[in-house]
Amino acid sequence: MAAKSPEHNSQRRVYWLGGLLLAWAALIALRLVQLQVVRYGEFHERAQKQQQRTFEVSPRRGNIYDRNGHELAMSVNVDSVFAVPSEVRDQEVAATLLGKILKTDSREILARMKASHAFCWVARKLDAQTAERIRALNLQGIYFQKEPRRFYPNRDLAAQVLGYVGMDDDGLSGVELAFDNELHGIPGKMAIQRDARGRYFSSVEHQPEPGQNLVLTIDENIQAIAERELERGMQETHAIGGTAIVENPATGEILALANRPNFNPNDTRHITPAQLKNRAVTDIYEPGSTFKIVTIAAALEEHLTRPEEPIDCQMGSIVVAGQRIHDSRPHGVLDVTHVIAESSDVGSIKIGMRLGEQKFDRYVRAFGFGSQSGIELPAETRGLYKPISRWSKVSMAAMSMGQEIGISAVQLAGLISTIANGGIYTSPRIVAADVPNGRFEVNPAFQSTSLSPVTQHRVISDDTAQEMKQMLRAVVLDGTARGHIDLPGYSAAGKTGTAQKVDPATHAYSKTKYVGSFAGFAPVDHPAVVIAVIFDSAVGLHQGGQVAAPVFGRIAKQVLAYWNVPHDLDLNQDQRKRVLRAGIADEGDETSPDHIGGVVDEGTNSGMANVEAQLTAPAASSQVAATPQVQPAKLAAKEHPKSVVAAESQPGVSLADHAVEADGSVVVDVDGTQVVPAFVGKSMRAVVEMAERASIEIEPSGSGVAREQSPPPGTHIVPGQKVTVRFSR
Amino acid sequence: MAKNISFKDFDWVLLALCLLICALGTMEIYSATINAPKFAESHLHIKQLYWIVAGLTLMFFVSLINYEVLLDNAPWFYLASIFSLMAVLLFGRKVLGARRWIAFPGFHFQPSEWVKLILVLAIARFFMDVRNRELSLGELIKAGLIVLVPFALVMKQPDMGTALTYLPPLLMGLFLGGMKMRHALVIVLLVGLVTPIAYKHMKPYQQQRLTSFLHPEEDSQGSGYQVEQAKIAVGAGGIWGRGLTKGTQTQGSFIPEPHNDFIMAAFAEEHGFVGAVVLLLLYFLVLMRLIHNAQTAPDRAGAFVVMGIVAVLAFHILINVGMVVGFMPVTGIPLPLMSYGGSSVLFMFLALGIVNNIRMRRFVN
Repeated sequence: MAAKSPEHNSQRRVYWLGGLLLAWAALIALRLVQLQVVRYGEFHERAQKQQQRTFEVSPRRGNIYDRNGHELAMSVNVDSVFAVPSEVRDQEVAATLLGKILKTDSREILARMKASHAFCWVARKLDAQTAERIRALNLQGIYFQKEPRRFYPNRDLAAQVLGYVGMDDDGLSGVELAFDNELHGIPGKMAIQRDARGRYFSSVEHQPEPGQNLVLTIDENIQAIAERELERGMQETHAIGGTAIVENPATGEILALANRPNFNPNDTRHITPAQLKNRAVTDIYEPGSTFKIVTIAAALEEHLTRPEEPIDCQMGSIVVAGQRIHDSRPHGVLDVTHVIAESSDVGSIKIGMRLGEQKFDRYVRAFGFGSQSGIELPAETRGLYKPISRWSKVSMAAMSMGQEIGISAVQLAGLISTIANGGIYTSPRIVAADVPNGRFEVNPAFQSTSLSPVTQHRVISDDTAQEMKQMLRAVVLDGTARGHIDLPGYSAAGKTGTAQKVDPATHAYSKTKYVGSFAGFAPVDHPAVVIAVIFDSAVGLHQGGQVAAPVFGRIAKQVLAYWNVPHDLDLNQDQRKRVLRAGIADEGDETSPDHIGGVVDEGTNSGMANVEAQLTAPAASSQVAATPQVQPAKLAAKEHPKSVVAAESQPGVSLADHAVEADGSVVVDVDGTQVVPAFVGKSMRAVVEMAERASIEIEPSGSGVAREQSPPPGTHIVPGQKVTVRFSR
Repeated sequence: MAKNISFKDFDWVLLALCLLICALGTMEIYSATINAPKFAESHLHIKQLYWIVAGLTLMFFVSLINYEVLLDNAPWFYLASIFSLMAVLLFGRKVLGARRWIAFPGFHFQPSEWVKLILVLAIARFFMDVRNRELSLGELIKAGLIVLVPFALVMKQPDMGTALTYLPPLLMGLFLGGMKMRHALVIVLLVGLVTPIAYKHMKPYQQQRLTSFLHPEEDSQGSGYQVEQAKIAVGAGGIWGRGLTKGTQTQGSFIPEPHNDFIMAAFAEEHGFVGAVVLLLLYFLVLMRLIHNAQTAPDRAGAFVVMGIVAVLAFHILINVGMVVGFMPVTGIPLPLMSYGGSSVLFMFLALGIVNNIRMRRFVN
């Protein structure tokens, strides 16, 4: 070492230096591995967290269609307004201007702007007019984002079935809630990049994935019929609530489900809980006499009785476990058919007692009571049905006549469907399918009434079911519903029910509040349709036969005509009977079914006999009666060109007279009036979107392609004036 | 002698490596400034290209002047630099609390940059005359004073970052000049004792930089913030990087001075681990090439000059890259050849000119 020259020594030190440099480079490289490879995820996330503000972009919610492919609920793109506050020059001025247009507190907008540099919503899902006014301000840092808004073209049609959605497009009731996952779609993301000073410098958008479409078993036209007739029934009975269900007995498909009171899902601000509630599914009521079907059917099936077996109804009084039970009307000896037809409580109790608790319980459950039907609607009730262990000494007797048990309207429809369907219980369904979003192709399988049932099981034998059908027909022919059902050309069967409501204050049966119901089917031999109608707390006439049976008749008449179901009775004879009856009733301008009912009821059999006697006489006005009455729609939205009424009117009426094709653009005049665009020939979606753009409120009716509009294109209207557009296919 | 030199002996490989780094640097300056509102109109990448061209011209010019002439005049240069540093303290423009520049019509002059190179020459000149195998204490103190006078003057500006860059050539000279191990130990001990006292006399921002280096999480908005943001940028780059002009830390101005002191962080974010390692490799090759030139230098003085330059360059890279990856405190030392800035570019090419000057004369003697 010592011998080495200074040059050699510094040479050696140079190598040392090289080595040190290499070591340093290796150290840095290792550090880079640690930062960029090992901890990459952590730093990447930290970078994103401080740079990005992500906001959801709503996906297009799937449409809801009826079985014919008509839109019941659809989503329309409308403008939402957001601000990038760091770009807004004078936030106070901007907030004031926006607040004025939006009619909201400008301080609130200002507060939101102050809260974030990169993003804040100013207002969401605006109507076209407001959005246009904001756009006209041309404010810096104010941007527009298209967001889908839910639109129900038929407004309150099937409102409780469909439900409604909130501001964020979340289903809040009905199938909108039950199928929210399917309908909602996957939200997209708008990622706003911000820099170190909070300025917005770019945005990335991930497209949302649209939701699935949903096809219901509901037929829009049948639903319209049910809604219209239920509404009419409500006005006639002054009931506080009402339900009508139309079901295909063979498949369990719900064709219509209407409730009163109801709501307009387009206007979510004014919905009350009472309107919102789908009472057909969520509400329990004491069925009363309709439940006697279970008692008698079970007894027949168990061979404990025969339809013609005479039962002593003990002049309407029986003592069970020390309690005396009265019939509403005293009966002497009735055969079992007339125990049903006249709805004798005493007779039903006596037959029910023969069954015993175990057998009775088995049939009650087999008919679908005490458990959910599985219908695809939220908050379905199981009903109230106690296990045998909790029955009292009178329970058996009470339930034989439909007391001490709570059922839902859907369960009632299920019971009648089982009888109509030859003894096979079919669980109801309201959703036909979910189909991918996009252009919706009408599936013929949905249109025909042949969707396969969800689940089925036999409750009673076909023979028993046939016997039951005839007995229920007797209810209509000469029982409690006699004369209340106006169904020319078709046989009908069913059962009335009139249950006293339990007063919640006294826990005793009310003397004034009744639930009147009628559930039946037609035609009797090959039932095409089951209809259950329930009115809650009708004022005045309240018995099931009086309040619900006429509605059943009117719905059945229109649905059977709509389907062109072949008549199974002689139409002429039936019509003449009807006309004569109308003559008997009064000379008034309206043929009120209540009046008919009243007359027949009071006259017992004599009234009917009179009618029969006059059948031979030629009816002068039969021509008038033969034409189904066209009832002016109470609400324009419920007028359906394809419904029975329109279907039977001239199909060839040219609607193209107004089809003056403007280019569809809208001119807003200086004086504030608007020019109506040409909607004719456009699809419902196109019309709705056009109207949104033009800030014109439309009143659509029907579905399919726009055929007619009023006022015609080119007309000047003032904002707020509605344009009625009729659609058909 | 001058007649015999030939550009065949010019170190083209070294020049190519340096120009490659410059190209990467200019590209990253472009990427880091193009979207920044502050620099969008400045076209710094174009300006950088002008500086590089100017630097190349200077390099060829300097390579023609015999380095022995430079060494002979080193004492004069040294005196001139001391005077210029004092002039800065007296007449310099005060920017952000520090006098670093002398304003001339049209441009600013920062003498402290050039002093680096003059110190390299001065130290080489000093050791040229010391032929002993081991360095005596007197020689050690003399060498130390050569550097400590300008060091103190620059510290007074105050510009600790630049002042610190004066130390590597001294240490390199002492190391190669045969400093005794016990002297080295004494110096280390002295530095250890002086540092806490120096800390007390530091400006508050300097103190803060040091404390935030030691505890970055306690100061997430100040210089700790800068270190954190640089680290996030490097980490978020991943293996392959996010792509030119795609690094959100760089583009969103999260990285402080992404075209200057923190250009390595911007580069590592946009070009990832692979890009960063390639860049480090280039620097390593440049340094090894320089060391090779030092070894083949015609004389001891030439070797000392080249190794002095190696020391300055290595120190810059070490501190700058170390700062970006979180090993070192924030000192404001640019990354040579990458960072934007005329002084830095001209210094590098001037140094390259001197290195080639020495290299081209290796066979002449």
